[in-house]
Amino acid sequence: MTVDETESADKKFQKELISGTSALVLLSVLSDATEPMYGYQIAKLIESQGVNVPMLKQGALYPVLRSLESSGLLGSRVEPSVSGPPRRYYQITDPGRKTLERWKEMWDQMRTFVDAIMKGESDDQERR
Amino acid sequence: MIKSVDEYLGLLRKELAGSDAAVVQDALADAEEHLRTALAQAINGNPNTSEAEAIPAIAEKYGSPQEIAAAYRQMESRLPAGLGRTAYTGQRSILSRFFGVFADPRAWGALLYLFLSLAIGIVYFTWAVVGVSLSLGLSVLIVGLPFAVLFLLSIRGIAFIEGRLVEALLGVRMPRRRMFSDDSTGFWKRIKDLFTQRITWTALAYCILQLGLGIVYFAVFVVLVGLSIYLIAMPITVLVLNMPAYIILGDTEYLATTWSIPFFFLLGMLLLTATLHLTKLVGRGHGALAKFMLVSKKD
Repeated sequence: MTVDETESADKKFQKELISGTSALVLLSVLSDATEPMYGYQIAKLIESQGVNVPMLKQGALYPVLRSLESSGLLGSRVEPSVSGPPRRYYQITDPGRKTLERWKEMWDQMRTFVDAIMKGESDDQERR
Repeated sequence: MIKSVDEYLGLLRKELAGSDAAVVQDALADAEEHLRTALAQAINGNPNTSEAEAIPAIAEKYGSPQEIAAAYRQMESRLPAGLGRTAYTGQRSILSRFFGVFADPRAWGALLYLFLSLAIGIVYFTWAVVGVSLSLGLSVLIVGLPFAVLFLLSIRGIAFIEGRLVEALLGVRMPRRRMFSDDSTGFWKRIKDLFTQRITWTALAYCILQLGLGIVYFAVFVVLVGLSIYLIAMPITVLVLNMPAYIILGDTEYLATTWSIPFFFLLGMLLLTATLHLTKLVGRGHGALAKFMLVSKKD
């Protein structure tokens, strides 16, 4: 594999991970929030968690928010802002909270599963 | 390198060409909300930064227009049609495109604007003419300058409000904020700017021009819409209410016979549809004019 190929494979994998988890991340951010949040706030909050994922583009969060809203897991309202275009504030709904609970369980299972497999792999390597 | 929010939005729009209109609108609204907020934050943090300096980093974090367009397209393809989305893909027959104008909010918005333009034009014209003559008349007195300044400020206010109206009804992107002059600009410099900026005078000209345009728009569209409604209503007026309908060609008058009524009805439908198309066209033209006369290049 050339450097370019490695890079693009990495990018692809990271992109798939992000697109698989961003809905979970957004739901959990909004379920922790005490009041409705707009996109920029959410992006800033995620950024402030200090984990640097360069492939996670802030702009890619917005379509996920939109799709969560259209499936009823989030509610939103638009409010004018003092300095700029109106902002769309998102808030988690009751079905959203229930979905989040289920998704959290699924995520835990998935993580345990992947960890176990990778642990097994490294055990194998140690044994060799 | 992307240097301004508008440039970014333009590129994003290009990338999204062919997508569902609602998706394009959502994507642009999201991007604009985010970029402008981020820009305001950046300028707040460091007042010396210009838009051109701050935007590249903000856009980099937000994602390139290509990436963002891809994200929205992916989402669009996953959403089933009917779940808050239309299945419209941009491939429609000529017939449905012609009559589809009835479902186009822009056509109705433009029609409303064209009807309103007469009343609005009268108000603008009166205000502008009274203001100009008083400003000139008072210019020999000490209150002349303050009066002229206040009057020109009011014209700028009108330009802003008219811009909001044009955006709401004609769908042309107009400034959403008042023109920004930072606090470091001195008082006299601001007054000088008021007199020297092109926008003040074109906005004043717009106020005067609006009356003339308003009269023409109103007259033409009242006639077209009125005639269409008359023709469409002919089955009722002639067949049910027994009101005679005359057609005057030159010196001869013809009485519309029963068998001809359906043709007049169809003619009316065609005329109304064509009128709505014309409305959209005139609306777009007026929007372009308003944008030229009411928006300074700096915005």
